[in-house]
Amino acid sequence: MAELKMAPFNAGNVPGPKMGRVTAPAVIGKMIKRAKRPLLICGSNIEKHGSIDKAIEIGKKGIPIAATGNAIVAFRKKGYTDNVKYALLTDLVNCLCDPEWKGLDGKGNYDTVIFIGSLYYLVSGVLSSIKNFAPHLKALAIDPYYQPNAEMTFGDIWKKQDDYLAMLDEVIGEL
Amino acid sequence: MVKLKAGIFDIEDLENVQIEIKEIMGEKMPEEEWALMGPTPKPKIPDLRYWDRILLKRYPPFYAPQCDTCILCTMGKCDLTGNKNGACGISLEATQGRFVLLACMIGTSAHIGHGRHMFHDIKSMRGPLDKIPIDFGSEVNIEAPLTRLIAGVKPKTLADLENVLNYVEENIVQLGDSLHTGQEGSALDFESKAYQMGMLDSIGKEISDISQMMAFKFPIGPNRPLCDAGMGTLDTNKAVVFVIGHNAPPATDICDYVSDNNLDDKIDIGGSCCTSLDANRYSAKVKLAAGLGRQLKVIRAGLADCIVVDEQCVRADLLSQAKKVQSPVIFTNDKNMHNMEIRDGDDPDKIVEDLVSGKVPGVVLLDPRNVGEVAVKTAMKMKDIRRKNNWLLSDENFKKYAESCTNCGTCTYQCPQGIDVGKANKKAAEGDPSALSDQFDICIGCGRCEQVCPQNIPIIDMYTKAAYMTGRIQNEKGKIRQARGPIFDTEIRNVGAPLVLGTIPGIIAPIGCGNYPNGTRDVYTIVKEFASRGYIVPMTGCMLIDAGFQKNEEGKTVFEEYDDVFDKGGVLNIGSCVANAHIHDAAIKVANIFAQRNIRGNYAEIADYILNRLGACGVAWGAMSQKAASIAAGFNRLGVPAVVGPHSIKYRRSFMGRKDKEEDWYVYDARNGERVYVGPVPEHLLVVAETIEECIPLMAKLCMRAADTPAGRSIKLTHYIDLNQKYLGGYPDDWHYFVRSEADLPMAKKAELLQILESDQGWKIDWKLKKIVEGPKVRYDPSFDPTNIKDLIRAKKE
Repeated sequence: MAELKMAPFNAGNVPGPKMGRVTAPAVIGKMIKRAKRPLLICGSNIEKHGSIDKAIEIGKKGIPIAATGNAIVAFRKKGYTDNVKYALLTDLVNCLCDPEWKGLDGKGNYDTVIFIGSLYYLVSGVLSSIKNFAPHLKALAIDPYYQPNAEMTFGDIWKKQDDYLAMLDEVIGEL
Repeated sequence: MVKLKAGIFDIEDLENVQIEIKEIMGEKMPEEEWALMGPTPKPKIPDLRYWDRILLKRYPPFYAPQCDTCILCTMGKCDLTGNKNGACGISLEATQGRFVLLACMIGTSAHIGHGRHMFHDIKSMRGPLDKIPIDFGSEVNIEAPLTRLIAGVKPKTLADLENVLNYVEENIVQLGDSLHTGQEGSALDFESKAYQMGMLDSIGKEISDISQMMAFKFPIGPNRPLCDAGMGTLDTNKAVVFVIGHNAPPATDICDYVSDNNLDDKIDIGGSCCTSLDANRYSAKVKLAAGLGRQLKVIRAGLADCIVVDEQCVRADLLSQAKKVQSPVIFTNDKNMHNMEIRDGDDPDKIVEDLVSGKVPGVVLLDPRNVGEVAVKTAMKMKDIRRKNNWLLSDENFKKYAESCTNCGTCTYQCPQGIDVGKANKKAAEGDPSALSDQFDICIGCGRCEQVCPQNIPIIDMYTKAAYMTGRIQNEKGKIRQARGPIFDTEIRNVGAPLVLGTIPGIIAPIGCGNYPNGTRDVYTIVKEFASRGYIVPMTGCMLIDAGFQKNEEGKTVFEEYDDVFDKGGVLNIGSCVANAHIHDAAIKVANIFAQRNIRGNYAEIADYILNRLGACGVAWGAMSQKAASIAAGFNRLGVPAVVGPHSIKYRRSFMGRKDKEEDWYVYDARNGERVYVGPVPEHLLVVAETIEECIPLMAKLCMRAADTPAGRSIKLTHYIDLNQKYLGGYPDDWHYFVRSEADLPMAKKAELLQILESDQGWKIDWKLKKIVEGPKVRYDPSFDPTNIKDLIRAKKE
């Protein structure tokens, strides 16, 4: 992991003193495992990098999925909709920032959100909302990019799809 | 100062006395009483704050900070992470509001600066403002709805508008003052001020556009001619003058010079951004060659023999980019001079000689009347010189550069879109330029990639070459109707009822810049989708230009396929960015003409009317500029929601409703003051969509209003559900929120939807009558008169 770059995928995206920690997949997997109310947020790039199949694997481990943008179409194509709900990303994160929100299932807000398949710059923005205004949430990013506004994030590995998928397998292995 | 009392005076022996007469009050006639004055003429910062608080309660700001620090004063840098306070005491949240206000101030200043500059030019080019009447002809009696609404003034000449501009300018300064360290500390009050700024922006745009329309006699109304659009329409067999910016008088002088000297067969005039739109209103010969996203590509393709720029959205490195292709540049606006010499007063032929010889790369000509001759003569001489060079990469160099790419990804890290240029270069090296050609359209033309390429590959040139190799640029030839300006009163009379009743499902207004997430085709998709469904689609700015060179299967653009009438399924070129005031105006005129609401100085009531009744939604899919921020704030304060593209998260602020918070969706019934739950309509006021597939159904949803009739709601719901199915592959999760009775349900799906309401929502259905017996939280009452403003309740409930 040490060789993974801690450089924002969009080079100028340096938000401030608190930057996301590049974290080993196994640690991220353990964080998700420990979460009481995790939510996997799948973005419109979910079909890139082979992420969709891994997201479904995570979903099958019982972690509910919010599909943003047009990601819901990808899940429908795959025939996996069991615990997948469509969400408008900014609407979802606006709700997530409210500790009193009842959640997508009406059972209360979440304690850990995991981003995958993200439209990089958009998710970077909403991760900033969470970082700055939602102290009750842990935000993890498991895209093949370094996300400076996440609490824990993968490093840049977007050019090595196989390595990236192996990292996702490590995460899944912990669940 | 000596103050004289009333009487007759005889002053003798006056010597060496200077008398300065500033204003002859006797000639300042009171304005004719054309309507009762409403409560807030020329509102100042606090006057509409109560309306803002109503909006901000239902649609509070959702902030996505782009930077966690503040560096505005020397007590910093301050770390505000986690919503901490800085050294001055301001929180991160309030800092976001402050930044939004700053952005809106920049945007508003650009539009108002345009207006003020326009007045200066008009005075010198067309004479005194009080001698230029405001006359849109017999079809427009309500000539300046925003000016009437906000200032309470019914302007007769441009001089009346100049007085209103004074009000606007003063208020911008007051709002700017609030940005200083140690002033406002509340995020919500910053947002109220941003709304105020947005409102000033809207009236400023109206003033600017009416002024240029009257002074330069821009055409008005529908059935405008079709004009050339797209990079491929520029005729390089002629000398090409390329105009860029947002303030058209210099471009009009170029048109005049070409016409006066019969040079049409020798000179082609094209442009990008709003100057091309406004110059095209002056003379249809001006080609709408490119929106903002193509600006650098046109320059680097070497298409321009002379570039003339005025103000706003002009590349800051224009001069160095133009130098690369030997295009001389004429700067015509004092806001944008790039360290060039001001040459007004010099012999035009000497200026041309200096430009053509390359002695200077550019000049400044601040008097628009000096521009035409210099630009045209320069272009004609440069054509002979420049055509000896081929500004496109040679096939050999294209291949060489593609092969030199090491696929290191440095460019991708710099690219706002994250484009994988290396992958496309690899294909190009193998002889297939198609991937680079596709990226030509997705690339927003910023050029950041080139600065970091370790192999010094001119990536913009690679894109352009690839786009020529595949025929993309040559085929980028479309048609756009010439801009038509304001909507006719007669058109409003025809559509007022269908719009408010909902049988025309809404107004969808695509506006703004070219920072699209995935290329220009999305613009066409939006326009086509809504026009074909009977929405009215008025457009302005770069989004309009980008819609003009996309075609259907028959090779027709949306401007050829749909009429430019403000009626069901109409697609209208309203004009440049400042012309989008006429879209605000259309909404105001519905309230005035159809509903007979008094608009004079009556902002909040009209905004409340629009929010509750008029299904309209703006879309700025590629919003980039601070002007887009102020435009959106102006639309939002007037009760019109807007959807913006994913890059707009960088504006830092959305206005998001919460449909799960029932208490947010109560309004008053103006008849008796009863509090009535109306459901989440419209659900958001300013919202970022992630993809075009998400954007389109979202816009349909945001056209629903509290006062929709069952027929109207049924039509709107039909489109919302249908568009969800088309673009997202299924029913939306929230459609039941919008059902008040079985009459609201789409006819074709009624039985199926009743079934879902019963099974998923637990509603009780009478299957014999196919009626909803129990379930909806919202009830429909045909006499319901919704308002968010307590003062508009006519009789309090006992």
